[in-house]
Amino acid sequence: MLRRVNPAAGVASLVWLLIVVVPVYVMVNASLMPQGEALGGKLLEPAPHATLANYRLVLRSGFFHLLLNNVIVTAATIVIVLVLCVPLAFAVVRARGARSLLVFRVFLLGLAIPAPVIIVPLYVMVSKFGLYDSLWAIILPTAAFAMPVTLLVLVGTMRDISEELYESMAIEGASSAQMLLRLVIPLSKGGISTVSVFAGLAAWNGLLFPLILTQSPQNQVLTTGLWNLSSEYGVDVPATLAALTLSAVPMLVLYLAARRALISGVMGVGGK
Amino acid sequence: MTLAATRTRPAPHPHPARRRGQARVGRPRLVWALPGLLFFGLFAVAPMAYSLYLSFCGNWGGIGSARLVGAQDWQRLVNDGNIRQATKLTIELTVLSWLFQTPIALLIGVWAAGRQRNRAVLSAIFFIPLVLSSTAISLLFKALLDPNFGLAPSIGPWIGFSNGNILGSPNGALAMLVFVGGWQFMPFHTLIYQGGARQIPKVLYDASSLDGAGRIAQFFHITLPQLRHTVTTSSVLIVVGSLTSFETVFLLTAGGPGSATTTLSFAMYQNAFQDFNYGYASALGTGLVVVSTLLSLLMVRFTGFGSMRSTREGM
Amino acid sequence: MTTKSVPRRRSRLALAVSLAAALCLGSAACSPSSGGGGDSITVYTYGDGSTDIQQNAVNDFNKTSKVKVKLVVVPGSDYTPKLRAAMGSSAAPDVFFNWGGGSILPYVQANQLVNLTSYFNAAPLKGAFLPSIVAAGAVSGQDYGVPMRGMQPVILFYNKTLFAKYGLQTPDTWTAMQTAISTFKAHGVIPFALGDSDNWPSLMWLEYLTDRIGGLSVFSKIQSGDTSGWNSPAMTSALNQAKTLINEGTFGSAYTSTGYNDNAAPTLLGSGKAAMQLMGSWDYSNQLTNHTGFAKNDEAWTTFPNVPGGTGDPADVVGNPANYWSINARTQNLSTAVAFVEYMAQASYAKALLAGGWIPTNSDTSSLLPSFPNPDFGEFQFQMVQKAPAFQLSWDQALPTTVGTPLDTEVGKFFAGQVSASQFESDMATAQKSAS
Repeated sequence: MLRRVNPAAGVASLVWLLIVVVPVYVMVNASLMPQGEALGGKLLEPAPHATLANYRLVLRSGFFHLLLNNVIVTAATIVIVLVLCVPLAFAVVRARGARSLLVFRVFLLGLAIPAPVIIVPLYVMVSKFGLYDSLWAIILPTAAFAMPVTLLVLVGTMRDISEELYESMAIEGASSAQMLLRLVIPLSKGGISTVSVFAGLAAWNGLLFPLILTQSPQNQVLTTGLWNLSSEYGVDVPATLAALTLSAVPMLVLYLAARRALISGVMGVGGK
Repeated sequence: MTLAATRTRPAPHPHPARRRGQARVGRPRLVWALPGLLFFGLFAVAPMAYSLYLSFCGNWGGIGSARLVGAQDWQRLVNDGNIRQATKLTIELTVLSWLFQTPIALLIGVWAAGRQRNRAVLSAIFFIPLVLSSTAISLLFKALLDPNFGLAPSIGPWIGFSNGNILGSPNGALAMLVFVGGWQFMPFHTLIYQGGARQIPKVLYDASSLDGAGRIAQFFHITLPQLRHTVTTSSVLIVVGSLTSFETVFLLTAGGPGSATTTLSFAMYQNAFQDFNYGYASALGTGLVVVSTLLSLLMVRFTGFGSMRSTREGM
Repeated sequence: MTTKSVPRRRSRLALAVSLAAALCLGSAACSPSSGGGGDSITVYTYGDGSTDIQQNAVNDFNKTSKVKVKLVVVPGSDYTPKLRAAMGSSAAPDVFFNWGGGSILPYVQANQLVNLTSYFNAAPLKGAFLPSIVAAGAVSGQDYGVPMRGMQPVILFYNKTLFAKYGLQTPDTWTAMQTAISTFKAHGVIPFALGDSDNWPSLMWLEYLTDRIGGLSVFSKIQSGDTSGWNSPAMTSALNQAKTLINEGTFGSAYTSTGYNDNAAPTLLGSGKAAMQLMGSWDYSNQLTNHTGFAKNDEAWTTFPNVPGGTGDPADVVGNPANYWSINARTQNLSTAVAFVEYMAQASYAKALLAGGWIPTNSDTSSLLPSFPNPDFGEFQFQMVQKAPAFQLSWDQALPTTVGTPLDTEVGKFFAGQVSASQFESDMATAQKSAS
């Protein structure tokens, strides 16, 4: 039982707690103010005439449509990433020869290549394929860029499956496909849920691809929608803050419901 | 970022002699990897090749088709003072972000790895910034820092900006980028360090206590060395993240004031989508790909991801 | 690490992948065509505070048109990049908003616009608009744009109530303006609201200063491609004059993080925190909508003062002669697109513009002026444009985008004090040279 009392770290934590909580408090507090009041700049004091008008405005501005698009993009990205990467990781781990290691290393190289770097040729290609300004234009590159991390985690998980289990299934005459479905996937559930979280977060919060590759209002997702709304509302700060608060609600709900899974997914990264 | 394997089984090697009976069964052919490879190739690799091609297409602006004209974009890139400044800024941003995030995340993460009850509550609160998207966070701070209508006029004076014009001063804008990036990712890195600290075997601390070591000595002689790989993981994430940090710059400062926070990624965006010089932007992008690839190789080498050695080695 | 085989393998892979992709997906949409297709056409317009006028016109047009018009409002700060991106894709608009001049030059050069000259030689477009305005929407003598918004000279707006409070004179002379600046500074009022973080509002200052100091020839040299124009003495004086103004505190201290597009600068003026704003005439309709009390009771206007020792004509005007609709050559509904742009010549549309605070560019506008919400302002603006020896299009629209956008960025850097005047000039000369 670690009984290390650490006052310095305790104080640092309290200070950081304040730094985290104050902006969030202001966000919610000011979102309840009518615009004229907020122009006065006194955002720290509790809103004297709290109103939900800003939230109504945001909801009228098509917020649910943004949410729907975001859900579609996230779900599609997760599905594509899993469908492509699970067999890929399986092949890398189980196939023999230097080629599998090579495939793995090709993806590793992709780990540190930032998306903004290839956005120009990607934009030109997407336009030429006729995908410009569609949700696919967001989904496909996002999935592709989630693949290196996904592969890394999945390969790490699958390598932990001991050889004896494969052997015993081989004795029963199982094919590769059967091994994948009945052995590998069930045993890799932890890794699969981790990569689903990562890919899902990347898709949910992505800005670059929607920004450059989509255009019309019906293809906006949460991030581009928020940016649009904030330019539209301009100095109507409460309206912008209401939009931001609303955008946090889905993730907050998910977080409260699946806190353990999310946290252990992230912490698993720290090193076993 | 990966699960450094703690199992002692090495990667499968081709040893047909040992697996005589099971040579073929249960081992998928590499063709299983093909759909994933093709997809990745199309959406990640092909654009890189195309980027190289476009970098030799001069000033192509997206109208009509691109034609090869020579290496003028590369010549301009090497001599461009704006790019040199952007590189300097990107490095500054990276270093400052690391200096800001690592000590704090390390301290809080290690502290949170203990088992007191309120630590669980605090961990929950730290996680809140992760729930907001990068976009939402940048927009939130942009609104809060508005010099005319936000919080900036009130809190500005406390941190040395008497007129509240934090975002309008070059140093202030850069500091805000570092701060907002830290605000956003601190919980993430804190959790990483927390996970790492939880793995440190208690026996090491007990042994050193017996030897009479105090808390601070324990921190420096046990905790830090044991967190070596975690520090590397977290640091690599910060470095790569800063290199690619586009969203925060785009939303919070738009590269400004003037060009005081125009990082390399933002400069690329500007050249491509504001100045419509896809050729030059591609040259810049290709250059960045080279740098990122080198970083990735270094990362693989230093952390041993490619061979996946355990942090428990030598115990 | 088998570095040697990886590039070869990757390039072979990339080639195979590209071919496969081209086969599968290329067949779906080979050539970029226009957005609307069969029964509708898409019209892109610039998103700012006054798009409802265009929306109402679209609604009216749709009542009697078989092929419907769909208006897409693109946020202003993103308009040019989005338009460019859309025009290069299969989701291109049939009709789009532009500023004439350099803003449509690349499209004309790539033969992507419909030549409207023949339509201007027939009813209803013939003689409908002021000739100088139509000319600003032409390239090499061929018409490509139909005027669709009012004239937009850049005007010096000021708060006459604040001026009266401090006993100040109309700031249409240099000394009056300087006196006003120092008085307001002393009383904690921002003399001029400036949305410098968007860059183009600061460009307006440079345009007027250069014109007042050295006349039109300074910029026409640059526009014709002579990059030495950037080094002209008048340009240097203008830059130095701007610097002096900045250092005097003319724009307050937070101008580098105050924008126009998000309405920050206009709100400063409309709420009384700033006393003046140099801005295009469109800001009047903006104030009418957002700060009606201010617009009706406190707002006044005048021309940019003469600079002592300058040789330019003080009646010169800078700004946007108008905005135009241009038609995409790849449209599949040419007749509807033409009918829609011809709708702009209708009296009902001109009246709608007037009611919204715009001065239309129709030939018969002077007769319609009395119905303008603020007849004084309408008369002032119309006279200002009619009497102007020259109406200089905003530099960042007159030049092609590859020079115009870097110009905006460079102006932002200059106003933030990050480049000196000589650096600005050499940077712009370099930018213009490498863009050609």
